[in-house]
Amino acid sequence: MSDHAVTIRVNGVDRSESVPARLTLADFLRERLDLTATHLACEHGMCGACTVLVDGETARACLLLTVQADGSEVTTLEGLTEGDKLGPIEQAFWAKHGMQCGFCTPGFVLTIAEMLDDNPNPTREEIIEGLGGNLCRCTGYVKIVEAVEEAVSLRGGGA
Amino acid sequence: MSLFGASIRRKEDPRLLQGNGRYLSDIKLHGMVHAVFVRSPHAHALIRGVDSSAAAADPRVVCVLTADDLPAGLPPLPCIDAEETTKPFNQPILATDKVRFVGEPVALVVVEGDRYIAEDIAGLVDVDYEPLPAVSTAEAAMAPDAPLVHFDSNVVDVLEYSVGDAASALAAAPHTLSERFVTQRYAGTPLETRGVIVEWDEPRRGLTMWSSTQVPHSLKATLVGYLGLPENAVRVIAPDVGGAFGVKLQPYPEEIVLGLAAEQVGRPIKWVEDRYEHFLASTHGREQYHDVEVGYDDDGRILAVHDHAVTNTGAYLQRLTLVEPFIGVSMLSGPYVIEHQQLVSTVVMTNTTPLNPFRGVGHVQAAFTMERIVDLVAAAVGVDPGEVRKRNMFSKDVFPLHRGIGNVLAGEIIYDSGDYQECLRRAMAAAEWDDFRREQESARAEGRYMGIGIGFFVEETGLGPYESGRVRVEPSGQVIVFTGACSSGQGHDTVLAQITADELGVEFDDIVVMHGDTDLVASGVGTYASRSAPIGGTAVRHAAGSIKEQAIRIAAEMLEASPQDLELIGGEVRVKGSPASSVSLAQVAGRVAPGQPLPAGVDEYTLDATDVYHPPTNTFSYGCHVATVEVDIDSGVVTLLRHVVVNDSGTLINPLLVDGQVQGGVALGIGGALLEEIVYGDDGQPLNANFMDYLVPAIGNMPEMVVEHMIVPTPLNADGMKGAGEGGAVGAPAAIANAVADAVLPFGAKITETPLGPETVYRALQDAS
Repeated sequence: MSDHAVTIRVNGVDRSESVPARLTLADFLRERLDLTATHLACEHGMCGACTVLVDGETARACLLLTVQADGSEVTTLEGLTEGDKLGPIEQAFWAKHGMQCGFCTPGFVLTIAEMLDDNPNPTREEIIEGLGGNLCRCTGYVKIVEAVEEAVSLRGGGA
Repeated sequence: MSLFGASIRRKEDPRLLQGNGRYLSDIKLHGMVHAVFVRSPHAHALIRGVDSSAAAADPRVVCVLTADDLPAGLPPLPCIDAEETTKPFNQPILATDKVRFVGEPVALVVVEGDRYIAEDIAGLVDVDYEPLPAVSTAEAAMAPDAPLVHFDSNVVDVLEYSVGDAASALAAAPHTLSERFVTQRYAGTPLETRGVIVEWDEPRRGLTMWSSTQVPHSLKATLVGYLGLPENAVRVIAPDVGGAFGVKLQPYPEEIVLGLAAEQVGRPIKWVEDRYEHFLASTHGREQYHDVEVGYDDDGRILAVHDHAVTNTGAYLQRLTLVEPFIGVSMLSGPYVIEHQQLVSTVVMTNTTPLNPFRGVGHVQAAFTMERIVDLVAAAVGVDPGEVRKRNMFSKDVFPLHRGIGNVLAGEIIYDSGDYQECLRRAMAAAEWDDFRREQESARAEGRYMGIGIGFFVEETGLGPYESGRVRVEPSGQVIVFTGACSSGQGHDTVLAQITADELGVEFDDIVVMHGDTDLVASGVGTYASRSAPIGGTAVRHAAGSIKEQAIRIAAEMLEASPQDLELIGGEVRVKGSPASSVSLAQVAGRVAPGQPLPAGVDEYTLDATDVYHPPTNTFSYGCHVATVEVDIDSGVVTLLRHVVVNDSGTLINPLLVDGQVQGGVALGIGGALLEEIVYGDDGQPLNANFMDYLVPAIGNMPEMVVEHMIVPTPLNADGMKGAGEGGAVGAPAAIANAVADAVLPFGAKITETPLGPETVYRALQDAS
């Protein structure tokens, strides 16, 4: 199996690596770049735990091959944090107890980041629609919805 | 204001939100190699031989281990709640001459490189199987000509419990009814699968194992036994655990095999289960049906019950396999006075993944069965379901209440505290029961079918045998809390810090909680059975109390006062009545730092205390769920409208976190009520072992949820805590099933099983018409 040269801009830094064609983007991020906030829970695109942003849009890093992301810009949870400072979505998860074990949380945060960029003031129905592809086994989602509403207000949206 | 009882944000979260979680699969060690387990593709087969030569010939292979390579006479996986009568159908660590379920581990392959390569090479291990007829349901396994999973019979045990004289009471009862209630097989399916890293530690002549486990100390004890090592030679670390729900509460064969391989391999070995493996090789739960006969009078009072439950426990006994069959019948009567009970629980083996407890074990089936019965009785006598419950419930002055039933592991069932009738009243009020009835009536007139249902449960929580808590004050003033309880997302760091802050008056941010490491905590058990707050929290409370006494003794000399004139307030030891005369806990800890003479009457160079708390018996939480639903009569689709919970877990350390526990439990219960089922073909092949076909509730499945708390403290521990981790999962299926049954009542459709997917509801409607 021959390797392929890729250059992917990850969290603002260009990363050039030689990778086998079958290496998923999730494993590239986790194993090659040690960006372990991208979690693998089902590895078949059903749970959303591995959600990252590719060129600003959410993608399942478990279903994307690294070679497919060549030339793209990828954002992971690590890329949302500046030093110790939590962004508004993360602050909202903390304030509203939107997480328990934390394993699904990075995927939720990135999905919400995209959602609020597209629609800074979503209705409750839009929030539920927007999070339909992310599974959480701990919270029952109640406080995740509250966290999104809190994030909307922290970002200066809301009524 | 005390932090105890306050809804404060969690200590854990900022780190996790910054992407600095450290789950098992995030850990990388120098020189690490990768493991894959070769698993049986057959539900039942003889192993004629294993040819690993092609795999072994690959230069990247570090080792291949089969059962033949393991030490001779290795005992099978232990079951610690087996009765004397239980047949010893335990699981070998690797399959020897026979495999008994799809996914049973047969060989370990360890490979240099990565998981991709390891899986390539594992495919080269050639196992010569001779398939045998398999059996996948309990009923089929009990048929006279059924294939035998082990030897002589597929019935592992028949557990029997009785109070009163059910046979006579049933014969004398004015009315009786009989029904079968079926709870399906489903599982905890945490988002993080299991995983292990093991490293041989030569200076220690032992090993360190990182495992995504709920029970690091039990795992350590198991490894010590299997490896024949002294306790000091084994260290187990549970890093951040991405959900567990009971699935990670036992030492598994993979952990033992990897432990056995560690010295030979000599390099760190990593194994992370994939989702398909998780469905096959991590334990399942629930699958149990109840054949029930009840006797009742004209007022709907239940006089007697005969219940015969049958549990499909899969291919092997696991560590706590008998909890499901035991709790399933012994907790059947829940909050109700039923004087005469004959309870029989048959445990049956099949060629499926083994059962072990998960969130709400046994209680789910008991509550579903009992609560459906109560509604059937209510309908039969024409009395409102709430009123029938009230007539049958214990009053609040009966505690402690001896139920006259027990088992080897849990001891006798003695309800400790509560007010069931008030809980029912509050839940029905919060659900706006009477208003809903009016709404239901007008909806029916429009051809829409809404229903309301109650799911009341009593649940054994706060299980022993013990848990440890250790509190140490550093000269920096920081307080370190160590505990054998460990988190899989519940928030141990936060609530144990709240207890400590309450006892010592120190700042929340000055408390560090450490758990999940057997080198840091001498003794411990782990997290399951809603035990960490009542047992672990009580140990921490006691240890912090000892710190208080020690600090006052040390400070006595520093303040030139006698200990009885001192008090510990706000992290300072003060002279009562003259608060200006004080020393901080940091100064007190500094006063017993080594390198100086100790104060008079003090004999240790540390401010440190440990408590190992053994509860006198278990606590019993309870709650009342009221669900409302709408059923589409044409398709059988159930839509959840609202879900109300009034829960009594005793005293709450952090209501925000308890709300989260209840809400998450309800979600799991909704999965069990409507969506989740692990399906096997008659040949024992799993048919939906992935998240596309096995439906975990998503956000769109959730109704509006209302959670309220009743607080009746238990007298069994200092803070009155009863445990809150599981009740949400217990009450929800019963309430939802009763609501569905209520919705389809005009059609006379029988609702007797979960999950209530569209096909099941549609068929029930068709069968009734």
